[in-house]
Amino acid sequence: MKLHRSFIAVLCLGLAFCLGIMGSQANEASAATEGEITVLNPLGSPPPIEKKQMAPRLHTLDGKTIYLINTGFPNSGRLLEEMSKWFKANYPKTKMVMARGGMTNISPDVMKEIKEKADAVILGVGH
Amino acid sequence: MESKLKKPAVPILVSSFYEQEIEVSYNYGMPGIRIQYIPGPVWGKDNAQLKAQIIEGNDPILGGPVMKEIVEKFTKPLTAKEKNPGELKHDLPPATYTGTPAELQKLFLEKRYTDFMPVILPTEKLVNAMLDATSHDPDEVLGKMNPGSEAGEMWTYTVRTAAINAVMAGAKPEYFPVILAIGSTGTPAVNISDNGFMAGAVINGNIRDEIGLNYDIGAVGPFAQANTTIGRAWSLLSINGGNCGKVGTTYTGTVGNPMNAINVIIAENEEKSPWEPFSVRRGKVGGFGFGGPQKPAGYKKGENVVTLLMGWGILSAVNWKANDWSELPNYALAIKNIYKEQGTMFGTFAVLSPPVANNISNAGYDTADKLTKFVTDTGAAPKGGPGGQNGFSMRGGSFNVVVTGASNNNYWMIGGMVPAASVRIDDWR
Repeated sequence: MKLHRSFIAVLCLGLAFCLGIMGSQANEASAATEGEITVLNPLGSPPPIEKKQMAPRLHTLDGKTIYLINTGFPNSGRLLEEMSKWFKANYPKTKMVMARGGMTNISPDVMKEIKEKADAVILGVGH
Repeated sequence: MESKLKKPAVPILVSSFYEQEIEVSYNYGMPGIRIQYIPGPVWGKDNAQLKAQIIEGNDPILGGPVMKEIVEKFTKPLTAKEKNPGELKHDLPPATYTGTPAELQKLFLEKRYTDFMPVILPTEKLVNAMLDATSHDPDEVLGKMNPGSEAGEMWTYTVRTAAINAVMAGAKPEYFPVILAIGSTGTPAVNISDNGFMAGAVINGNIRDEIGLNYDIGAVGPFAQANTTIGRAWSLLSINGGNCGKVGTTYTGTVGNPMNAINVIIAENEEKSPWEPFSVRRGKVGGFGFGGPQKPAGYKKGENVVTLLMGWGILSAVNWKANDWSELPNYALAIKNIYKEQGTMFGTFAVLSPPVANNISNAGYDTADKLTKFVTDTGAAPKGGPGGQNGFSMRGGSFNVVVTGASNNNYWMIGGMVPAASVRIDDWR
């Protein structure tokens, strides 16, 4: 019985100790949330993403027509000219065609021509 | 372009766009797009240099020969992931954040919600006080904005978004209708271009005194809460509401432009100007905004109107040798001589102090139209002229003038800015 009483006393002390700790933690937690504020997110909303399909690749460049579209950023034409030269030297069976695009869009006429005649397109330069 | 044509298309980009293009290609629904990166810049190189640098050079990102990689991009079969990248969606942030003010300042900075200066933290209470300054519904869509190019997505923002950013900028609620009027145009204050563009606004009407806009000493500088915070709110709304100003993705200014911080906010000194208010003049010819052309609006003197500007910015006319330092200066001629040397992309924009404007008026140019005709009549066809140069339209005309500042001396500023949209501020009360 004595042992039992002692056990209860120890248990009570332990419980009191635990409660003390918890109380202390609660006080600390209360101190941590004190001074916290809630603010609103300042962002706008992006549009939903619409998945687009990549085009199938070419089996070979031989006999194909590649359009080089000049975006109009400075010196784009000169670089595309050098690319065209490289293709002509290394892929002589590939036809290279230079076309004028624009910085932000391509005219409907040029788009129509590309749709009808091109097998692939190089678009440059994003400066 | 590849999805429209249904044919392999390889964009050629300098490698500094790499980070941007990862985001752009994902957002536009084709994360696997085969972009060829090249060492830049391309501009300023002759054929031999371009051949050595690019044709015979390596891809700075992947490391392989540029031309070999281009061929592979056309011919290498699509991978399973390129054919089907899985679900594509934005990782949207929470509606609110909770923390101590210091933690939230740090968080806003790290998330790039700021202009790298501390902000007023937008609590609901402060935002509601801002919203009380307008009759518009907080959930009303105020505008859509991208950073000036399709390289950045077009985001949508509401009146509430504008209020949050106005609070962050330190604006008072009474400034809010001006901020809403600006935001309604969808015009970005911080443009993506590597040019380093800036933005500005001319504010006319009785609201100038009502909200304490400065049009006296230091008019275009950071010397009044209204001018400074309206400009800052526009930049923050652009950054947060309009997907602008994220370095590496939606901002690429090579050198940058310090005017992006608070923009050039000009309250016109109508009382000391010899000419009709800028808004009245704009109201006769219409304007051009991101929403398209505007018809002449017939603004009246006293009506509260904000007209947006975009361009390179302004600096002291003292910088130009063509300025007139004689004891009896001919300012109209000085402006004309500077105009002749200016580029045409954004035309010429003069910001005159009242003594300079009145000197010009007393010399016979008693209307801004007369001055404009004298300045722009150079006897030769304009280089580029209205309608564009390099694909950029200069729709506001090639010369514009406003009057602001104090009368303590004959100083003035000039530079390249073109008027865009004009908006009635009272529509946003």
